[in-house]
Amino acid sequence: MLPLSLLKTAQSHPMLVELKNGETYNGHLVSCDSWMNINLRDVICTSKDGDRFWRMPECYIRGSTIKYLRIPDEVIDMVKEDAQAKSRNRTEMNKNRGGNSSQNQRGGGGGGRPGGGNRNNAGNRSGQGYGGGPSNNAMRLGGAAGQQGNRLPHAAKNNRK
Amino acid sequence: MSGLESYINHTVSIITADGRNFIGTLKGFDQTINIIIDECHERVFSTTSGIEQIVLGLHIIRGDNIAVIGLIDETIDSRLDLANIRGEPLGPVVH
Amino acid sequence: MADKKVGGNNDGKEKRRKESILDLSKYLEKQIRVKFAGGREASGILKGYDALLNLVMDNTVEYLRDSDEPYKLTEDSTRSLGLVVCRGTALVLICPQDGVESIANPFITQ
Repeated sequence: MLPLSLLKTAQSHPMLVELKNGETYNGHLVSCDSWMNINLRDVICTSKDGDRFWRMPECYIRGSTIKYLRIPDEVIDMVKEDAQAKSRNRTEMNKNRGGNSSQNQRGGGGGGRPGGGNRNNAGNRSGQGYGGGPSNNAMRLGGAAGQQGNRLPHAAKNNRK
Repeated sequence: MSGLESYINHTVSIITADGRNFIGTLKGFDQTINIIIDECHERVFSTTSGIEQIVLGLHIIRGDNIAVIGLIDETIDSRLDLANIRGEPLGPVVH
Repeated sequence: MADKKVGGNNDGKEKRRKESILDLSKYLEKQIRVKFAGGREASGILKGYDALLNLVMDNTVEYLRDSDEPYKLTEDSTRSLGLVVCRGTALVLICPQDGVESIANPFITQ
């Protein structure tokens, strides 16, 4: 699966984008292009240190300045549908290689690790709570993002000592 | 060919240019080594307490920000006692 | 690949490649906020632009930063730049200034 296909599938979904300068942007993806340039709407910008916040109705971000994007878990399952139509080649390639193309529900995941990996991820994907439509969804990512808005900068700080 | 194809659907460890360590399942990549990583966790190292794992979920990480992608042996990794491992956090890549 | 949409703004729903996903014409004569690689930020009236995202802005002000805290910028300390050309390659972010506001932490866990 190509990262940009996933990103394209994530259009209209909420997401968190961290830039190379350390700022994070929470918003809904309006559009993206093959350079990873993106348009977000209903954005909350968080400063690098994580203690100042701005609201902006929309913004355009140059792809090359992005460090990573955090996308709702369910989006990866939505790609598979058009991925089948789109990149049959890739599937074929995987098949020929044998082993690992069987559609990848590894049991383990994060949940199997002893070090506390299963705080809340393992079950997320399987869709409880996503039935409530977009507002519900937005709230959820808002929450998750919030957690990150607060925590990541600290993590980053620790790293930087 | 980047050789990453054989890592697909396996657990990988990513070290990014800012010195962070992400662990998760590699779901895809492209020619610029942008990657999709599923069930992503960040491991935060510290000299004073054990490794903290932060659950992050599905990520796209931009290739130009990636320093290392390593394949994780899950049986070895699952034996790690993260709570009792101490280590200096990595610094960022100096450009 | 080759489908150019002139002035079209169909939100990129089905087209991956086209001129630009950013329709700057809607910001013409409006005040916009820009952030640059390296951390500078400025705001001004958009007077013109090209496909490489080079911008012409008028009545531009730059928001100044503390020298020891280079990413903390101060909303109140600015310097006037007047009419400027912004190099597209150095741009990180563009947004309309209207509606941008500093807010309290919206992520506080209730």
